[in-house]
Amino acid sequence: MKGISLLEGKYAVTMDPYPQQSKEFNRIHPFYENLRQKRFTTTRCRSCGWRSFPPRVICPECLSTELEWVDLPVRGRVLVVTEEETGVPAGFDPPLIHALIDLDGQLTYFGRVINCATGELKEGDEVKLAVFRVEPVPVDAKKGAVILQERVFFAFEKVK
Amino acid sequence: MRNVCVIAGGQSTWGLRRASQRDLFQEAGKACFDSNDLISNKNIDGLIVASAGTGRCSLQTHLAPLVAEYLGIKPESVCARVELSGASGSAGIIMAYGLIKSGVADVVMVAGGEKLHLPQCREADYSGPGSLDRDWDGAMGLGLPPLFALAAKQHMKKYGTTEEQMALVAVKNRRNGMNNPKGQFREPVDLKTALNAKTVVQPLKLFDCCPVTDGAAAIILAVEDKARYFTDQPLVYIRGCAQASAGNMTANMASWTTWEALKTAARQAYRNARIQPQDVDVAQTHDCFTIAEIIAYEDLGFCEKGEGGCFIQEGKADFGGQVPVNTDGGLLSCGHPPGATGIRQGIEIMRQLRGDAVRQVAGARIGLTHNLSGAISAHTVVVYGRDLE
Repeated sequence: MKGISLLEGKYAVTMDPYPQQSKEFNRIHPFYENLRQKRFTTTRCRSCGWRSFPPRVICPECLSTELEWVDLPVRGRVLVVTEEETGVPAGFDPPLIHALIDLDGQLTYFGRVINCATGELKEGDEVKLAVFRVEPVPVDAKKGAVILQERVFFAFEKVK
Repeated sequence: MRNVCVIAGGQSTWGLRRASQRDLFQEAGKACFDSNDLISNKNIDGLIVASAGTGRCSLQTHLAPLVAEYLGIKPESVCARVELSGASGSAGIIMAYGLIKSGVADVVMVAGGEKLHLPQCREADYSGPGSLDRDWDGAMGLGLPPLFALAAKQHMKKYGTTEEQMALVAVKNRRNGMNNPKGQFREPVDLKTALNAKTVVQPLKLFDCCPVTDGAAAIILAVEDKARYFTDQPLVYIRGCAQASAGNMTANMASWTTWEALKTAARQAYRNARIQPQDVDVAQTHDCFTIAEIIAYEDLGFCEKGEGGCFIQEGKADFGGQVPVNTDGGLLSCGHPPGATGIRQGIEIMRQLRGDAVRQVAGARIGLTHNLSGAISAHTVVVYGRDLE
């Protein structure tokens, strides 16, 4: 999967389409750690029970900080398909297949469907979570060293 | 009670411009002052600048003092930038309205502009996801067009709206924009051409989508007693306004075919203005994609839910119809520099209500502007009137 691909990678790092994921940059880093285990997770409030997506560090309903990680379904059913043929964002190649996906009534996710040819995905098809590595991000380390932090992201793919 | 009026407005030429962001702000500022001989840069006490892409595309923050210096304005009540993506200009107008209404400022210029084709022409494709929830929707490869394609598909399925009805919005707005000398597109498009154009994202084709635009616009708001001093034109009041948002990430969008935040913003703005939807004589809506104009007819209350397709087909949004919409060509013709669009809309409504528009709606007394922004996740509505009641 391409991350910073245009202009031979020489364009500024702020073109990077993926978020910073490690614990140095992000308090919701467990999401990405779970994603590596092929789990799709989010936070739920221990005080009021509100389940948020995306994951949070406070509950947007009762403002509690007592949150726990819970699993979301990794399989869903396609409600709407639309194929984008031109003008896609940096780091992505057309065509992009986007689908509105019902994740077992828990979440209606507008997600990208990969490993799928144009015209192949239909309404009613079953899809599952697909996790992939994206471009690592260079981070300054001690004594002038640069380390590359590995990253992952997700989309969905058709269950065949 | 302090009443707030709009007394001058102008814009730069919009399009793919060989000019810098500050060049465009200077052009718009001059056009604004040139539109009204009774007011000059020395009479402005506050400046609000609207720009969404300035940090990303021009690497310039702290923009308002820069624009003030270039326009010869020395602000002493307010001098700041506001940002709300495609509704930044309307956000600026609302902020200026509130500051004037409350007595913090008396005469405020709201100047909005963008230089989006930087550092290279594809910049808009790069920075588009920044107006969505970037870490989640952006990382999913989502830009703006697929959101409206999804809304269109759902609307077609649920209410029987057709691709032809969407194309008719493009045909109307291109026709309305033909005599707009500062718009990006001035050529008409016929229905057949619109329907047979290249697909961008199904079911949206080229003419269903607004372009990427460099450009700026500026408008001046003043408290009523100063407005009377600084213009000999009929006064146009801001009668009411509101912004609403009801969830930002796409996974939290309750409905793609009924835009609850638009209904809320419209209800609040109508209440503040003490009008009903049927009182609106002319409207500028956020036609970033043709389907957006159709859904806006419904959620602004110009017609029943699901009847937006028929509303355009029956000519109700055209000159001579129930409420002419996007009389200067809208985003589809004029283009869409996010910081400037709401200001361009406000200028067109000011002209329509004064009676000096390029294409005039006869006898218009009440006008409305609507902007949406981000992942259809915020809506801004401003009601203008020739009268206070």
